[in-house]
Amino acid sequence: MARSLTGTRIRERRRGRKLSQTDLAKQVGISASYLNLIEHNRRGIAGKTLLAIAERLDVDARTLSEGADRAHMLKLREAAAHRADAGAELEQLEEFIGRFPGWAKLLDAFHTETKYQKESLLALSDRLNNDPFFAEAIHLMLSNITAIHSTANILADGGEIPGQLKAEFLKNMETESGRLAKTASDMINHFNSPAASEQFSDQSNGLDRFFERHGFYLPELDAGTAGPDTYLDAIDDLSDFDRGELGDALSHYAAAARALPLEAFLDKAGELHFDPLLLGQAFGVSLETVLRRLAHLPQTDGVPEFGFLKVDSSGGVLFRKELTTLHLPKFSSGCPLWPVYRCLGQPGHPVRAIMNTPTGENFLTYSTAIQAPVNSFGLPPTLTATMVFTTDFDLFLPRSDRQSLPILDVGLHCSVCPRLSCSARRSAYILE
Amino acid sequence: MSQKVLLIEDEPHIVAALRFLLQREGLSVSDHDNGADALDRIRSIKPNLVILDIMLPGKTGMQVLEEIRDDAQLKDLPVLMLTAKGQRKDREAAETAGASLFMTKPFANQDILQNVKKLLQI
Repeated sequence: MARSLTGTRIRERRRGRKLSQTDLAKQVGISASYLNLIEHNRRGIAGKTLLAIAERLDVDARTLSEGADRAHMLKLREAAAHRADAGAELEQLEEFIGRFPGWAKLLDAFHTETKYQKESLLALSDRLNNDPFFAEAIHLMLSNITAIHSTANILADGGEIPGQLKAEFLKNMETESGRLAKTASDMINHFNSPAASEQFSDQSNGLDRFFERHGFYLPELDAGTAGPDTYLDAIDDLSDFDRGELGDALSHYAAAARALPLEAFLDKAGELHFDPLLLGQAFGVSLETVLRRLAHLPQTDGVPEFGFLKVDSSGGVLFRKELTTLHLPKFSSGCPLWPVYRCLGQPGHPVRAIMNTPTGENFLTYSTAIQAPVNSFGLPPTLTATMVFTTDFDLFLPRSDRQSLPILDVGLHCSVCPRLSCSARRSAYILE
Repeated sequence: MSQKVLLIEDEPHIVAALRFLLQREGLSVSDHDNGADALDRIRSIKPNLVILDIMLPGKTGMQVLEEIRDDAQLKDLPVLMLTAKGQRKDREAAETAGASLFMTKPFANQDILQNVKKLLQI
């Protein structure tokens, strides 16, 4: 159990306000030596004294007693895990946030910014690798450059060239340089087109950022005291497409919360070891509804943290909730061995398995695929598959269950997966 | 008698530059601009070396290379592959299919001449 750092937070707040220990003690009616013991966490503090100190320091008493909010702590933990080589002292994280709130906020902001920049780069890289126009344009440009380069070398190397041929070479260079300029211009126009920008913007912002900002848990929506419109009305800078997507996601969340009220759900989940099939039967809802519910739980002690991935039948990502230990693809698909993709081939047959990643992390996963109702003749049914996953299964899964589960050796993405002989490999390992 | 080189490349200005370079070295140069009937052209000209682009209309350079290696009369013919795609997988695919050498565009004139001489052993 971590020691209480209420005293440390009081000390830092007091110093921040340039208030002496003696003055503060006097103002709240205790002795300076007692305050000294409190500030060094050697005496507990609560009740009236805590309220008085909080009032004098102009801070909420809960902030002093509970410290940094869990979401802030998690983000900094994520930053530390991302750069484990830096050796950040995790055991002192709360003390760091308490003593240096501004620096902690700055670190948090930098980490978030870096994360989104990386995602933007991934989006661009994905686009450059998969855009057929871009591939064709690059091929053309390299051919133009080859012709120009080779011809220019001939003209420049000083060898004898018959006059007519020399004129032909100059004409060729002019033609090729004109083509090169046109291809370059077409490429710029292509990337500046509204459709391209909109697509990039849709992928970068919207849904993911909204839920990440709220830690995937919306207390008012969860409790039914607010509806999706409450959140949508509060956002201005959202494209129509994003607004529709976010509205759907919020409605699904609200429906899952109505069918599975938080308190009753957590009680039952504890009893049933978070088994989503049994929970679905107990509440009379589909497995997919339970999986969605697991993605939207408050991050409190005793509640395992679940990640979530929803994909369509081409592997495209529709909704995702990452865990610090499992980075999910945003613009392309993940490892083809993940059970979520297997489910697409067997709708109605859910899969429970442990995924073992190359870094040695084990994730308990539940996956299922569903088929959307067909509303037109002649079109194939639309399939989506959903997977929830957690590393916290020690908290709830009995050892006997754990031992009977299949363990799948999977990766994250081929480019960073060291399982070189994997039969599912589709691109080179880039970290050799 | 000069050695014969067949250029199978659909970009005429690259062909013009390579033709000049190779002829200046005393080689006899022919060209062909598609993959569809490239094998017939090779059989007809009987070159000592083929310079083969990968991206060709009709049939890819890789398919042409496979046909060359499957032909008892041509299987030992030196083939220098050219491509605008310099990715490792293209190089590996060309090597697996039996390319004698592989070069990516854009190339330096002196490098391609060096490789041509190496394959013709001159």
